[in-house]
Amino acid sequence: MELQEKLEILSGAAKYDVSCSSSGSKRSSKTGDLGSVSTSGICHSFTPDGRCISLLKILLTNYCIYDCAYCANRRSNDITRAAFSAEEVVDLTINFYRRNYIEGLFLSSGVFKNPNHTMETLGSIVKKLRIEQGFKGYIHLKAIPGASQELIDEAGLYADRMSVNIELPSDESLKLLAPDKKKQDIFAPMKQISSNIVLHQEERKKYKRTPLYVPGGQSTQLIIGATPDNDFSILTLSQKLYDKYDLKRVYYSAYVPVNTGAHLPEIKNPPTLREHRLYQGDWLLRFYGFRAEELFTEERPNFDINFDPKTNWALNHLGHFPIEINDAPFNLLLRVPGIGVRSAQKITSARRLAPLSYPDLKKLGVVLKRAQYFITCRSKYHGSVDLDEDKIRHVLTPKLDLNELDNPYEQLTLFDKPSSSQLLLPPMHAKLLLVEDRPTALTGEI
Amino acid sequence: MKDYLYDGSFDGLLTAVFYAYTEKEPIRLFKETSYRPYLLSEPVVVKTEMDKSDRVYQGICSRLSHTTLTNIYYLYLSEIPDSETLAFEYIKLCFKYTDTINLAKNNDIIRTVDKYAKRVLMESHRLKGFVRFKEVTPLVFYAQIEPDHDILPLILGHFKKRFSDQHFIIHDLKRGYAIVYDLKEAYLHDLSIEQGEKLLHFTEGDPFEELFKSFYKSVTLEERINDRQRRSYMPKRYWKHLVEL
Ligand code: SF4
Repeated sequence: MELQEKLEILSGAAKYDVSCSSSGSKRSSKTGDLGSVSTSGICHSFTPDGRCISLLKILLTNYCIYDCAYCANRRSNDITRAAFSAEEVVDLTINFYRRNYIEGLFLSSGVFKNPNHTMETLGSIVKKLRIEQGFKGYIHLKAIPGASQELIDEAGLYADRMSVNIELPSDESLKLLAPDKKKQDIFAPMKQISSNIVLHQEERKKYKRTPLYVPGGQSTQLIIGATPDNDFSILTLSQKLYDKYDLKRVYYSAYVPVNTGAHLPEIKNPPTLREHRLYQGDWLLRFYGFRAEELFTEERPNFDINFDPKTNWALNHLGHFPIEINDAPFNLLLRVPGIGVRSAQKITSARRLAPLSYPDLKKLGVVLKRAQYFITCRSKYHGSVDLDEDKIRHVLTPKLDLNELDNPYEQLTLFDKPSSSQLLLPPMHAKLLLVEDRPTALTGEI
Repeated sequence: MKDYLYDGSFDGLLTAVFYAYTEKEPIRLFKETSYRPYLLSEPVVVKTEMDKSDRVYQGICSRLSHTTLTNIYYLYLSEIPDSETLAFEYIKLCFKYTDTINLAKNNDIIRTVDKYAKRVLMESHRLKGFVRFKEVTPLVFYAQIEPDHDILPLILGHFKKRFSDQHFIIHDLKRGYAIVYDLKEAYLHDLSIEQGEKLLHFTEGDPFEELFKSFYKSVTLEERINDRQRRSYMPKRYWKHLVEL
């Protein structure tokens, strides 16, 4: 098989893994080496679906002995199978890198023969890149669930980031859709990588020569909407992963059906708005000091898709508001809908010189459309309606019910009538355009 | 009103600032080459004087801060038509209220300075990704770019560090100069479009370009096409030099 065809098959098979990040690692390089890593991550291109291309993201092979229900590469599917040789992977990586197409390699694989054999082969390729080619670019390597401890220990010495995809947020879902994988097989390597990272960091404090171990940390991915798991349990899981295993990122991927099967939902409309809200919720956990338990209640275990998660929270906790812009501490400013990290920083900076006026807030990047109901400025409330849950909820509710729109079991009918130019847009695009609070780069990070 | 015209160098700009400072009437600053005479103002050509430029430079460093100096440099690199006049207003503002005025993110001058500086930084970050090398001869690479702002000085270090084992040239076609790296040093050097074309003559069909194109195609999620988002991260004006498009 031609290299070109292999590349098409094996990059196509890896594309549903949404993580693309090349950030957060450090690896020193000296003159004469090829490659460096950038702490902030670099996107080299963007796909027509708007995701960042940072790494050469490929599977080593799409042969697989397992039969996970949601996966295009599952054993029972009749698809064209291909496999790269180690040299081909090395060659592609180095040559793409030299032309500045990529930040490095993202290598994953179907499970061939058995998990250990697969992991060993993956490990030997990254070792080749690092040792034989002296490659100092970014390497993201998948840890294969069920592979032995020694193999994972070794592979981590050459990778910048490792990840084990959990994919399914609960034990029951896993049993149903990925019967070959045990929860234990997924969490064991994760635990091990995280304790290795800590160990190597401690050692490095004492001995400078201790090798780096996965300096860019770990990440994982969860599929949204293939199982009945609710937002509460999903973000609680993410929170646990951030707290316990010190994960750098959890990625969420709206389920796109590639197979049909008894246990799979008949989805007509991938829940991308829900995915978007989960990314925002995840943001609140990582940068805004929120806990998952604050965002949901037992009665309301899912986000109301009509509002961004912070507005959701604020509406349910109106007692905390209004907040005075001129003296609220930074962490409280962060809790106001319409105030992001950047505008909170600008507020605390500018008010050191003089108290801020209401028109100043717009200049500082505050989205007054949402923020007006939750703040006072020089003790004055500027909201267009009273500080009352029903009233505020009413003015902030979008005209179209986004919950309806994101219903996975309904085909979108909204744009069927040829009434507007939106008809020209593919539905997925149109749907996300309706969310007002689209922050930059959620699914693809820069 | 007077319009001060400088030679286009950073030292020229600082010299113009030096003389503009003593004027009572409103002053605007322009590059000599891009200046269009304006009926109501009198053009004054300023010759670059290193000692004057040095004094302004040292004054900013010692009495204001390095960050402020860097902002002025970004304004200069931005090549946005009113950026030099803005730089002058900014310097005056900072000397009047001390460097802490930079905290006033609601002040219109400070906001515009931040905005322009951000644009320059944003573009230099983007181009670290969007530069596409062609292999002209084995292990000698050449890339063309046409950035909005004059960002070559800002990306030099990055590329030198990353590709320290290959010869490379990054050619800014708009400004007619390039980063040249010869395995020892990276420096900025004049390079005309014609010279660039000559370099490209050496290239033949590169199999990796074809491979990257098919990679680009096959990682697209057809179900999620979102061209508006793609264009907001990767504006169309950059596409000309991206092989995959
Ligand atoms: S193990 Fe991975 S590649 Fe194999 S079927 Fe399951 S998800 Fe697909």
